Amino acid sequence: MQFRLIIDGYRNAFENMALDEAMLLNGIPTLRLYKWRPSAISIGYFQSMEEEVNLEECKKQGIDVVRRITGGGAVYHDEKGEITYSFVCAENFLPKNILESYKLICSSLANALRILGIEAEHAGINDIVVNKRKISGSAQTRKRGKVLQHGTLLLRVDVKKMFSLLKVGNEKISDKEIKAVEERVTSVERELGRIDEEEIIDALIRGFKKTMKIEFYEDGFEKNELKMAEELRRKYESKEWNFKR
Amino acid sequence: MKVRNGILRGNLKVKGGKLIKCTVKLKEGRIEEIKISGDFFMHPEEKIEEIEKALKGMEFKKEGIEGKLNEILKDVELIGIDKEDFLEVIFSSKISNSS
Repeated sequence: MQFRLIIDGYRNAFENMALDEAMLLNGIPTLRLYKWRPSAISIGYFQSMEEEVNLEECKKQGIDVVRRITGGGAVYHDEKGEITYSFVCAENFLPKNILESYKLICSSLANALRILGIEAEHAGINDIVVNKRKISGSAQTRKRGKVLQHGTLLLRVDVKKMFSLLKVGNEKISDKEIKAVEERVTSVERELGRIDEEEIIDALIRGFKKTMKIEFYEDGFEKNELKMAEELRRKYESKEWNFKR
Repeated sequence: MKVRNGILRGNLKVKGGKLIKCTVKLKEGRIEEIKISGDFFMHPEEKIEEIEKALKGMEFKKEGIEGKLNEILKDVELIGIDKEDFLEVIFSSKISNSS
């Protein structure tokens, strides 16, 4: 089966989320790879913005905040620290069971990392780990018979910065706690000792091809997708959406 | 002593799963407002708003709320939490002074 491949580069949080939703509504089978500028925090559909995000600190550091249409947890998307993927296809292309479908898409990522020489595996519901350390997290939604799954691949991590932006507890987080979290996450840089974006993108494409048994043609967005995204962007920029819980 | 007025907060980490939280505003023993949040997955997502709307005005008692939750959650797919966790987080919530 043929999938569209969009290598999209940098956009801001609101455009990124609007384009993912527009792709889902349009429904063309697609793998999109993208980045975030400025750095941003996305929270899960069911999360409370005020409870999860240190808004004052985000403002100070110029970090955008946005609510996703997918569930799951809060994520700090660093401008230089992440490649994000979004994958859209028909529901019947994937296992009917949602957990199984997570497994299949996440295995594509794990296989991409293995192509890079990183011993990664799918763990839990929606994570990819290397020696039990998280390197990727994903979230999925389904609408009108189509599936959108999007997720991160950590290139480098700054736990201290991440914790200054997210509310992880009532108390100010100690150096010891930062160390403890640093033990539980990892990145391409840490595992490989280098970040070569071209190499990573190439591995991601190959990982998806091999695991999902699909082929890619490189393309851009359709006109109607961009039009939809333009409208959806307003939702993602709005207080009403971002602070609705 | 049974709480009839005030704001209650609940927090439940599901073993091997996700986190579900709730804030319940009670007035004279009834739910004036309820917000459920967390890092779980629920398909379709919009059902959460339906739950919050449906519980509004209900008496803060397990029986009625359990029935209402079962009714709405019937065709909902949950990942990282179970149906029972909604009831548990709501009724394990404690009075909170900060609003």
